[in-house]
Amino acid sequence: MDKLIEQSLNALLAREGLEPKAGDLEEFTKIIELYMGNLKTLHSVNLGDEEVAGVFRPEWTAK
Amino acid sequence: MAIAEKPLYYLSIHEAQQLIKDRALSPVELTRAVLDRIAAVDGKLHAYIDLMADKAMAEARAAEAEISRGNWRGAMHGIPVAVKDQLDVEHAPARIRQHTKGVGDATAVKKLREAGAVMMGKLHMSSLPDAALALPRNPWNTDHITGGSSTGSGAAVSGGLCLGSLGEDTAGSIRNPAAFCGIVGLKATYGRVSRHGLAPLSWSLDHCGPMARTVEDVAHMLQAIAGHDAKDPTSSAAPVAEYTSALRDDVKGMVIGVPRDYINECAPRTEPVVLKLVDRAIEKFKSLGARVEEVKVPTLHLATIANAVIYYNEFWAAHKSDAAWVLKNGAAQRRARIYLGLLTGSADYIQAQRVRSRCRAELAEVFHRVDCLALPNQAGPAPLVKDVGPIDTLFKHVVPEYHGPFNLTGLPTLSVPCGFSDNNLPIALQLVGKPFDELTVIRAGYTYQQNTEWHKQRPPI
Repeated sequence: MDKLIEQSLNALLAREGLEPKAGDLEEFTKIIELYMGNLKTLHSVNLGDEEVAGVFRPEWTAK
Repeated sequence: MAIAEKPLYYLSIHEAQQLIKDRALSPVELTRAVLDRIAAVDGKLHAYIDLMADKAMAEARAAEAEISRGNWRGAMHGIPVAVKDQLDVEHAPARIRQHTKGVGDATAVKKLREAGAVMMGKLHMSSLPDAALALPRNPWNTDHITGGSSTGSGAAVSGGLCLGSLGEDTAGSIRNPAAFCGIVGLKATYGRVSRHGLAPLSWSLDHCGPMARTVEDVAHMLQAIAGHDAKDPTSSAAPVAEYTSALRDDVKGMVIGVPRDYINECAPRTEPVVLKLVDRAIEKFKSLGARVEEVKVPTLHLATIANAVIYYNEFWAAHKSDAAWVLKNGAAQRRARIYLGLLTGSADYIQAQRVRSRCRAELAEVFHRVDCLALPNQAGPAPLVKDVGPIDTLFKHVVPEYHGPFNLTGLPTLSVPCGFSDNNLPIALQLVGKPFDELTVIRAGYTYQQNTEWHKQRPPI
């Protein structure tokens, strides 16, 4: 696995007090690297300043 | 219709409800026929993980007594149905939950019960913690998978082990098994069917919905389960339509959009037989009087990865408290989702939500000109069990494909069988509608089925 991704994942797991199952990082290398590569693609599109993720509305939710 | 024309377990819900209403068929007789069918073939299909035979017979007797008193509740009264494990059922909480409690009956289950349906039991789903459970097999060829994650729901309906089932769809989990098993699946608009009592995979992408053998049948099931639920904060208060009003053989003047650029983007990973059969189905719509127009949705190529980013991040958040257990004991797919969710940063999640907004806006623009979209449902026919690895599904989630974009945008999407591969495995078409316009996709799908025979084929099991 790409060293930087592996170090990041190990640090994130350690921060959460988690341990990967033995062999998982080797077994999942391909999907993890594909996913991380496609994350970059996700950021490649220019959505401008106005495209927001969600809209906060201050009124109470009507049920 | 004479009952003898086909085995009782292969009656459609629509056929059975007519017979039950006319008292030409007893729910007890129907439930017994389905139980006999389960006994005969579920040893090969492995669809059920909790069969509730005694309770089902008691419910069938109660339905029969009520109907004989003149109180027929509607189309689902006395109809044997089953549900994906992910939905809680009283005394049978979702096994997939692992460490959280169930809620009794999920709202969709409760609504089916209120409509008089007979609950046959819980069905297998992908990634259950109990690895000893055999994986469901495809009734069309038991060497092949059913598709997931509503694995048991697909196998059970296709094989005649219930008349309809509930599935759940976060990245295609209703539509994929519906396609592979040659049945109809409907992922209604996000918020149309309550998620209360559904073990979460991803709160903003999870859709509960019906799977059955005909479009008519999913319309009947949706009628029973749709509607606002105060227990689900994402449930919509939009009025529930009369879905059976869309069951008319007429697409004249309907404008069907084909996102050809997007299909071309996915084509290198799609088997030619799928593209051929979907194009043939689109031609069929034309011959029935629909107008077909190519449409462009520029951000659609990012929708699948955006869906995956939201899925894995919300999955991680939903499972943070039991992640240690999942990493030690959970199925490979669930472990992988934890790692991918951990690696997803807040900026990634927000960017995925921004892509979601843009995609919705682009689709809203397209839907000013068209009534629904038509596109493939799957990359190919159901693969062989021996060729599928434990996390192969995840590869589908992160490159452009046909399911994720419509979880991301929450649009109603119907999977309808449209032919068979050379090795006699089902292929399906997807029809996508405007938000809360299930009526249009039901009308288009129903019309297609009235003019084709694919949905009438039964597997050789």
